[in-house]
Amino acid sequence: MASLDNKSPQEISDLLDEYGIKHGPVVGTTRNLYVKKLKEAMAKGKKAKPSSDKTYYREEEEEVTYVYKTPTKSETSGDGGPYMRSRREWAEGEYGHDTSYSSYSSSRPEYRGRDLVNEPYMYDTPSTYSSNSYAKPTPMKSEPEKPKAQKSSRLIPLWLQFVFFLALAAFLYLVFSNMETNEPIQGIV
Amino acid sequence: MSSTSQKHKEFVAEPMGEKPVMALAGIGEVLGGKLEEKGFDKAYVVLGQFLVLKKDEELFRDWLKDTCGANAKQQRDCYGCLKEWCDAFL
Repeated sequence: MASLDNKSPQEISDLLDEYGIKHGPVVGTTRNLYVKKLKEAMAKGKKAKPSSDKTYYREEEEEVTYVYKTPTKSETSGDGGPYMRSRREWAEGEYGHDTSYSSYSSSRPEYRGRDLVNEPYMYDTPSTYSSNSYAKPTPMKSEPEKPKAQKSSRLIPLWLQFVFFLALAAFLYLVFSNMETNEPIQGIV
Repeated sequence: MSSTSQKHKEFVAEPMGEKPVMALAGIGEVLGGKLEEKGFDKAYVVLGQFLVLKKDEELFRDWLKDTCGANAKQQRDCYGCLKEWCDAFL
């Protein structure tokens, strides 16, 4: 292994980046500190590569975050208004959002301007999480990702949730029916 | 906000000018002497180092520990002092 002492400041800086160590310029007074940090990092054997790979994940990640975000946003915004409008507001808000959406915004700018085409587009991401629309003339790769997003979004399988729910309902019914009351409870049960 | 010492308050109240390194919060006689040995004889030189380390807390505290053997409290005090000074005057 080449001695760190013989490396140029630029090389030290590059090494620090490779290990993901946050740093300033490598000057006379900082060199020792950074060399020491590099030695520690090398001894630990950790190697954190810079984030060039993460851009690939981002598209999937963002897909998943849509799944979580859309329920709250659609519920809070536009309850009275049409469903479409609340979705559009949310989507446009997300566009304003930031850097990682560049992949989306670059691939779907044409959809923003056109109301008609907005409709199929809108349903593509909401449909990942559930309820209504399975209208899918969805252009992108959202289709193969939809089942993936669905799977990855559940920690407990859906059937198990249903089982628990039914068990709870049955339990509550038993409790209810065994309660002693003065008047018959047929009207309620 | 955690309580700050009198030294801290005095330091951050005005531009540091030519104040000695021992005027920094957390830096007493012993640490000040060690810093001076290494060439950091004025508070502004330590400020320079603080800035070159991009005002990062971890880096600065590590540097301080390596350079003069400051303990955690002294590191924290010195970092806090310089940070607040920079917020006010830089």
